[in-house]
This record gives sequence, structure tokens and C-alpha cells, in this order.
Amino acid sequence: MSSWQAVLRKDLRVEFRTRYGVSAVIMFLLTTVAVILYSTPGERLQPSILSALLWISLFFGAMTGLSRSFVSEEERGTSLMLRLYANGESVFIGKFVYNLLLMISLAISALIFFEFFFTKDFHVRDWSAFVLQLVLGAIGIAAVSTILSALISRASQKGALLPILALPVLMPLVIATTDATRIALEVPNAVANAQGDLLILFSFDVAMVLVSYVLFDVIWRD
Amino acid sequence: MRLFRSNIFLWCLGIVLAVQVYLSFEIPVAGSFGDAAMLSMSGVQDVTPVKATLVSVDSGFARFSDLYGDSGRVYVTDRSYGTYKSSRPGDVLVMSVAYDRSAKGFDLVEIIRENPAITFPMIQGLGELGRNMLFHVPMSMVAFLAFLLGTIYSVLYLVKKNHDYDRRARASSAGGFLFTALATVTGSIWARFSWGTFWNWDPRETSIFILLLIYAAYFMLRSLLEESEDKKARIAAVYNIIAFVSVPFLMFVVPRITNSLHPGGGGTEAPLLNLSGKTHTAPSLGIMFEISTLLFFIVFLWMKDLVTRILRIHDKRAEAL
Repeated sequence: MSSWQAVLRKDLRVEFRTRYGVSAVIMFLLTTVAVILYSTPGERLQPSILSALLWISLFFGAMTGLSRSFVSEEERGTSLMLRLYANGESVFIGKFVYNLLLMISLAISALIFFEFFFTKDFHVRDWSAFVLQLVLGAIGIAAVSTILSALISRASQKGALLPILALPVLMPLVIATTDATRIALEVPNAVANAQGDLLILFSFDVAMVLVSYVLFDVIWRD
Repeated sequence: MRLFRSNIFLWCLGIVLAVQVYLSFEIPVAGSFGDAAMLSMSGVQDVTPVKATLVSVDSGFARFSDLYGDSGRVYVTDRSYGTYKSSRPGDVLVMSVAYDRSAKGFDLVEIIRENPAITFPMIQGLGELGRNMLFHVPMSMVAFLAFLLGTIYSVLYLVKKNHDYDRRARASSAGGFLFTALATVTGSIWARFSWGTFWNWDPRETSIFILLLIYAAYFMLRSLLEESEDKKARIAAVYNIIAFVSVPFLMFVVPRITNSLHPGGGGTEAPLLNLSGKTHTAPSLGIMFEISTLLFFIVFLWMKDLVTRILRIHDKRAEAL
């Protein structure tokens, strides 16, 4: 077993014991959907509004769940042990894959909630484009929040800082995914129509994963 | 840099900048007879500045030919009669004219300039507002270059661990923030008179707003860190590099593929900065634009140097205490 898999397994095991991350994220999603349903009874929601709502809940859900990855290590005092046992590279890959899994499960549960609660309005016309942009968006958010979470685990106001730091950086990604989601909800052959958005997402993901992979060692090494 | 400490250089920079700003407002904007007729018939404005060569003076009217070779009859009213009597055929005049539908010609309102060395073109839909191209666009370009420079300094800091690079990165990002804010203000004023409101949430306006947020977060992160100077500088440098990854997306990609009020949106070719590398504007405006960009960039470098020196003194004093 390579060391990044060990880091991933450790994180998954901690998560299964406490179920803190998943339950926090699901409660967050439920609250968001409840607020939307409460304020728009009997109204038809346009695809543009639904896609924005989906990505608002995904983004802030990710910020609540994913900010934990390094902050919890720091709080429990285990970061020093982790630093001793694994090198920066495997910690980054392990944490990134863990965050990606959390992000994808968040996306799946958000999709189920939206399908279930907005039955009348939420119809995905093109599943391939929808899934593609969801996965690309998840990769970008996971990469940025992994590195930024490592960054803020040293700051004094940990909780509030991640969304403030991550939102502007992730904005090109959120703009592109929101647009791609809207297109996937509106037209059947969305891959061709959302080509520009998908290209932005792909290049943003490649750049972000590479940059955070290279820079992680700088933060991790003390 | 040593250059920025010499008084002679700073005086020269100040004077050249003042002359450039003065000329940006002083050089007359002039169009063709076609522009004047079109603006009058569409009801936008009655009086339009036109640049044309005097061909001949007849009784009651004069014949002109503009840059497109369109000839126009300009009628002389009592008020303005004396003004171009001294002009000879072949002289180039910039004059404001009003389209006269019944006489199929133009009434002379005022002669603005005789044989001007340089005029700005009349850009459709902009008119006098086109002058802002010499402030708004160079400022946003300098802002991008400043952020790029700040990121390069951050990388250099991480490689060489020299605190001076960290100070330079901070100073560059601060300068970039200032120029982004200036571009926002000049653009907002331009938007008020071109599109009706100060702020329209056009894709470019959204992205410059996010750009301001990114660098506000950068300065906030720095102030919230309770660490040694070394770690602070390292964390800030990492954030600066990550943040810069999204800057090209915000400034060049997203506004290009979405429909925008700005030129260059929705797949159209932008007039000043585009993939084909051509400038689609009259040479007079193009040259003034390039001078403006260069001057603002030098002003930015001077500011960056100044802030770096202040930070250096600040750090030295903190060390001594």
C-alpha cells in the first residue's frame, strides 16, 4: 500500500467513526433546500436560477465540509505525527482524493435532493454534460480547498477564512459550472453548446491541481 | 531601483505624464461628414466635429473633402463667416457642423482648429467619450502586469527565501489593487455616460469586482496570520500564486466567451488586445494609447519601488525594537 492510500484510508476511517463531515454537509444541503422551498412555494424555477442555487449550495457545502481536512489535524494535534510518517506529496494526494470523494458524495446528495424536492422544474436534459461539468467542478473545488485548508490551518480565525479566500479564487470555475449546468438543464445536446465552459473548467482544473501539488510542499515543510 | 531615486527622472516623469494627460483631453475628436449626417438624422446630436480639407470657397458656401473623400458643402452663416475666410484651399480644418437637411449640406457652427497636427477618430457610439480609452484600458492592463509581477516575486521568494522579494510582491500586489480600483472608477464613469448606469454587472465588471475581492483576501490573510515573519511571508506567497491562476481566466477568458457590453465579448474581436495581435483603431489613438500604457506602467514601477522601500524601513525598525 503506498503512503497516499494510507493517508486516504486514515481519513476515511476517521470520517466513518465520527461522520462529522458528511452529516454537516447533508444538514447544510437540507437547510438550503428547505429555505429555497419555503420562499418559493408553488413557483416555477427557471434553469438559470436552479443552476445558481445548485452551485451556491455545493460551494458553501464544500466550504463547511472540506475546510476540516487540515484544521481538524491541527485541532487534534495530529499534524505533527502526520508530518513524521508521510511526506508532503502523499499527504497532498491522500487529502485531495479524500476531498474529491467527499465533494462527489456531496454532489450526488445535492442532485438527489434537487431531483426529489424540485421535481417539477429540475430536469436534466443531457446527463453526459451534466456529469462531466459536475466532476470537473468537484476536482477544481477539491484541489483549491485542499491547499487553502492547509494554508489557513495556521491562521487564527480558521472557520470563516476559507470561504473568503476560496470564493474569489474559485469564481471562474463557479461561473463556468453554473453556466454549464444551466445549458444541461435547457438543451438536449449540451456538450456541444457548453464547449467553452467545459474547456474553461478543464484548463482551470489542470492549472489548479498542478499549482497546488507543487506548492503544497512549501506549506507542509516546516 | 536607483533610477527612481533621482529627482531629475521623477521631474521628467511628472512633466511627461502631465503633458500626456493634457493632450488626452486637448486633441480634438473629429469624424467625417457621414458621421455628422448619421448622428443628426438618428437624433443623437445636432452638432458634430468634422475634420476635412478645404477645396474651394464659393459664394455663401465652401466645398470640403473629408478623409473618406466624401465632399460636403458647408454653408457659412453670418455668425461664423469671418472665421475661415483666412483659410486657403488645401488647409485642413476641424470644425463643428450641423446637418442641414433642406439645403443638403452642413451649417458651420464653429472652427475648432486649423491644420491640426493630430486628431482622434470619432468612434461610433463613443464620440468624446473615446478619450477614456487612454485611461481606463491602460490602467487595467497595468493592473494585470502588476499582479503578474507580484506573482513572479512570490515565486522568487519561495525559491530564494530572500525577504526583499516578499516586500516587492506585497508592493506589486498593492499597486495592482490600486490600478484595478482606478480602472473600476474610470470604467464606471464611462459606463454611466455610455450605457446609462454606473454599474451593470457586465461580465467584465463582475470579473474586476472578483479581482478586487481576491487581492482584498490576500491582504486580509496576511493581517490575520499570527506567525513568524518567515511563515507569514511563505503562506502569503502561496496564496498569491494560487490566486493568480484564476486572474487570466477572469480578465481574458470568461469575458471573451460570454456576451458583454464591452468590446471583445461573445467571440467578437477586441479592438486593442486580441489574438491576431492587431490594433483596430486609428494610428493617432493607438500611439497615444501605447504611450499612456507605458507611462502608467512606469508610474506603477515607481510606486512599487516606493512601497518596497517603506516596507524595508518598517521591517528594519521592527527588528531593532
